[in-house]
Amino acid sequence: MSTVLPARSLRSAFARSFLVQGSWNYHTMLGSGFAFAILPVLRVLSGDDRGRLEASVRRHLAHFNAHPYLADLALGATIRLEADGEDEETVKRFKAAVRGPLGSLGDSLVWGSWLPAVSLISLASVWLGASPAVAVILFLGLYNLGHVFLRAWGFRTGLREGRSVARHLGMSGLGAWTERIRFAAAGLLGLAVGAILAGDGGLVEAGPLWGGLSIGAFVCGLLVGHRVWRPAAVAVVSTVALLATWGLVV
Amino acid sequence: MDLTHLVLVALAGGVLALDATSAGQFMVSRPLVAGTLTGWLVGDPSQGLLIGALLELYLLVSFPVGGARFPEGPTATVVAVATAVGGQGVGAVPVAMAVGLIWGQIGGWTITKLRRLNGRLVPEPGESDAGPRRVVTAHLGALGLDFLRGVLVTFTGVLVGALVVDRLAPAWPLSAADSLGLLIVGGGVSCGILLRSLGGFRRRKAVFAVGMALGLAFARFL
Repeated sequence: MSTVLPARSLRSAFARSFLVQGSWNYHTMLGSGFAFAILPVLRVLSGDDRGRLEASVRRHLAHFNAHPYLADLALGATIRLEADGEDEETVKRFKAAVRGPLGSLGDSLVWGSWLPAVSLISLASVWLGASPAVAVILFLGLYNLGHVFLRAWGFRTGLREGRSVARHLGMSGLGAWTERIRFAAAGLLGLAVGAILAGDGGLVEAGPLWGGLSIGAFVCGLLVGHRVWRPAAVAVVSTVALLATWGLVV
Repeated sequence: MDLTHLVLVALAGGVLALDATSAGQFMVSRPLVAGTLTGWLVGDPSQGLLIGALLELYLLVSFPVGGARFPEGPTATVVAVATAVGGQGVGAVPVAMAVGLIWGQIGGWTITKLRRLNGRLVPEPGESDAGPRRVVTAHLGALGLDFLRGVLVTFTGVLVGALVVDRLAPAWPLSAADSLGLLIVGGGVSCGILLRSLGGFRRRKAVFAVGMALGLAFARFL
């Protein structure tokens, strides 16, 4: 039997989902954040039964992890399951089943595609002469259009679909969207590289030595991957320190 | 930098650090935005944008993924911008950026420590007193601690950074163009890593080349 939840408690749960990572820890990960976010709904469902409220809060404190934006999908669906009066074991199994896909899909879609794509647009705009206000508004406006839409879509879809949200997730085309954004991001990376090479204060002004070294660094990153990031950062910091010390001595 | 600005910058560091993982994740904390905002706070948004854009290049491939340890972009950027704007000469930007990159690692280390502390702060599912009040208190307490962590990391970073920049920047031997060239070389590594993670050169060479041609054309004709 499904309980009709007041819009206020749903709005409150959605707003709290923006803080879902607030107490992220290595033991329960998003567990306590999830319990914090779902609390307004649990209060409504428990009514005056204090014992029931405490028991349901303890249940949701258990280990949970997902990409923070797609955690809204799990939150909406779990609210629906709780409102439908599903038993404890069903809710637990549901959360365990969705956490893996919501983590990997979100990391790939948001951190691996959407964020770099929008960053590259803003970076290109900087080297093409955009003012600070334009570069910042462009980044925040575009990025959060996708961000808030994804959270709101996830919450609403979860609320509507409940347990069948996993099937719905498979049909939603998020994987295909990830591939499209990655394709576009590769073009935007080219755009940013072109702008950095020839734009205001770019490598053309710095001279061929730095241009050649930058191409070498690019190829190194392309061939070796993430492992080379830290050594490269250490190399830059060490070079700056050496040059500054040399300037002091000479 | 006077005390009022130092406090303002440290508070900004706290708020931006919260945005990175704990609250909102609207990405106000990305270096490009954090740098410009800090630049506005200390009176030089263009310098803030430049340093923010350079650090954004470096941190293009650094994201708060799951339990991974990552350099903390917002405090690194706030420290770099605040110390560069207060510094003298061409050397202020590269030296401040180097301090920022080091401080980003220290910030990342403090995040790991805080997450361990959070594990002791939040109630266990099996605890009998793990009621709603305890959950809310622990969660908001953890958010408050993250804010304080960001404030402290930024405050100490700006103090240390200002000393280092004051000492080393005036003797910097390279010109402004060479300094920028040196800093962009480090960003080149991140661009290569990013193209690899977006599908690799073979798979993306056509779209990458079209984008690059457009970038060169826009830079030439805009």
